Amino acid sequence: MRHTRMPALGAVLLALVIGACTPGGSGTASPGTGSAGESSAPGASQEEKPTVRIGSQGFYESQLMAEIYAQALENAGYTVERSLAIGTREQTMPAILDGQIDMIPEYIGSLLRGGLGGQPTGDSDETHHLLMEAAAEEGLSVLDYTPAQDTNAFVVRQETADEFSLTTMSDLAAVATELVWGLPPECETNPLCAGALEDAYGIPFAELEIEPLAACDAPIAEALNSGVVDVAELCSTQPAIEQFNFVVLEDDKATQPAENIAPLVRTEFVEAAPDDFAEVLNAVSAEMTTEDLTRLGVEVAVQQRDIAEVAAAWLEEKGLI
Amino acid sequence: MEFLGEVLAWFTDPVNWSGPDGIPVRVGEHLVLSFVPLLAAAALALPIGLYTGHTGRLAGLAINAANVGRAIPTLGILIIAWILLLRPLVDLGLRREAAEVTAGIAMLALAIPPMVTNTYVGIAGVDRGLVDAARGVGMAPLQVLRGVELPLALPVVLAGMRTAAVQVVATATLGAVVGTGGLGRYVIDGIAQLRYQEMFAGAMLVSLLAIATELAFSWLQRRTVSPGLRGAPEAVIGPSQGPC
Repeated sequence: MRHTRMPALGAVLLALVIGACTPGGSGTASPGTGSAGESSAPGASQEEKPTVRIGSQGFYESQLMAEIYAQALENAGYTVERSLAIGTREQTMPAILDGQIDMIPEYIGSLLRGGLGGQPTGDSDETHHLLMEAAAEEGLSVLDYTPAQDTNAFVVRQETADEFSLTTMSDLAAVATELVWGLPPECETNPLCAGALEDAYGIPFAELEIEPLAACDAPIAEALNSGVVDVAELCSTQPAIEQFNFVVLEDDKATQPAENIAPLVRTEFVEAAPDDFAEVLNAVSAEMTTEDLTRLGVEVAVQQRDIAEVAAAWLEEKGLI
Repeated sequence: MEFLGEVLAWFTDPVNWSGPDGIPVRVGEHLVLSFVPLLAAAALALPIGLYTGHTGRLAGLAINAANVGRAIPTLGILIIAWILLLRPLVDLGLRREAAEVTAGIAMLALAIPPMVTNTYVGIAGVDRGLVDAARGVGMAPLQVLRGVELPLALPVVLAGMRTAAVQVVATATLGAVVGTGGLGRYVIDGIAQLRYQEMFAGAMLVSLLAIATELAFSWLQRRTVSPGLRGAPEAVIGPSQGPC
């Protein structure tokens, strides 16, 4: 469900890269414990701030969030070592569990399901809570989550939304059979796709006119824009939504797992770090909305702007640095 | 072995032999997806190859243009065509056929290069002495082409068509990425739904269809080539294994 366009290649290459470019590969270096531990009064002396090793997954949105968190921490006096684009979760989870990185931005639902074997729900608070419990057992902590969510969403053109007065998925249910749907080939057997449409919204999947197109990809976005399909399953922060002025229909029955973003940090690290470590990151998370993240995605992925510049501009705009 | 048993079970399950996603329908769709573009490609490529081979004019341009076409990955052509053509197709009322038309254009781009190249090479490679003799007995240029050059070049021309046909039948599988029917559906849907036995069965069916195409064309070659030419090199440019 996440951006998995080049998973295999990226995974293999970047698995090699992290071995080479992650500092302190021995896994023993625990910044902060040596120096900051002494002057234990948290945040007392600003010279004592530890080095934070931040990782990210291979796709741009994960890199962008990592860069935003990194710059906010640097602004607060921390030294940051970046290991961006490590790979997929198959590589990033071992990296943080082994202590090769200290933190990584994560999607709460996908992490809970994919990384920790839990069951996310459509409720962000609940999923976040479940995730914190599951992560604690692995020696990991989850800080506050963003309002922004990158989840699978059903999307229509503005004109379709206007014509049928659509704002929610329940609105869509009434006209479902009049529209052509772009749905991924696995939809039929996916409880979050056909299952959600049928059970939560009463949309008769078998009666829909469907074009089989992979979700969250360029072809399906083009198909929606040109009118080959009227409804498409995209990712909620996909740049095409902003580019083509699509309308994301609200999942009013909360069928999709919550996919807010939150920093996943080694508990050992966050306990040793000064108090403002979590404060800085939480302040950043609180400001990041789905609309912002989509817009930044257009700048990074479509306009090919430098991730560091885009991150800095957003942080300044929000008064965070 | 367990996996092969699952594949076998897939093939023997009657459900997979009937209905709109049954094997007969998918094979039929696959043949349409392959042979409509192949016919269109032949209609475009053969005149170009015949003209350039017969006259020697514009040969460099035609061959190089065809080879550039070979260098672009078919998946790339497919996605570019999808992005560029969707709106015009919708405007033309071809909304439902958009996937098939787009895939057809990608297949066209795949089929034209070997057809142009082989036709040109076949015609241009005909012994000049024979062509001069034909002219000498008073044959008009078109008569030379029809009566001398084309029959002599036919093994090579057909080899080009065979190459194109085998490649297109194998590659039409990709159309499923933009939502066509055909055997690619088994492969793409099988991967998406983690039904690997279905994916594997689809890949096997594509291979079998490509092999059948190869056999059909070699039969056609044997039937149509003048007995006097048997034993002549079948292909100057044989079935090349492009990167699909």
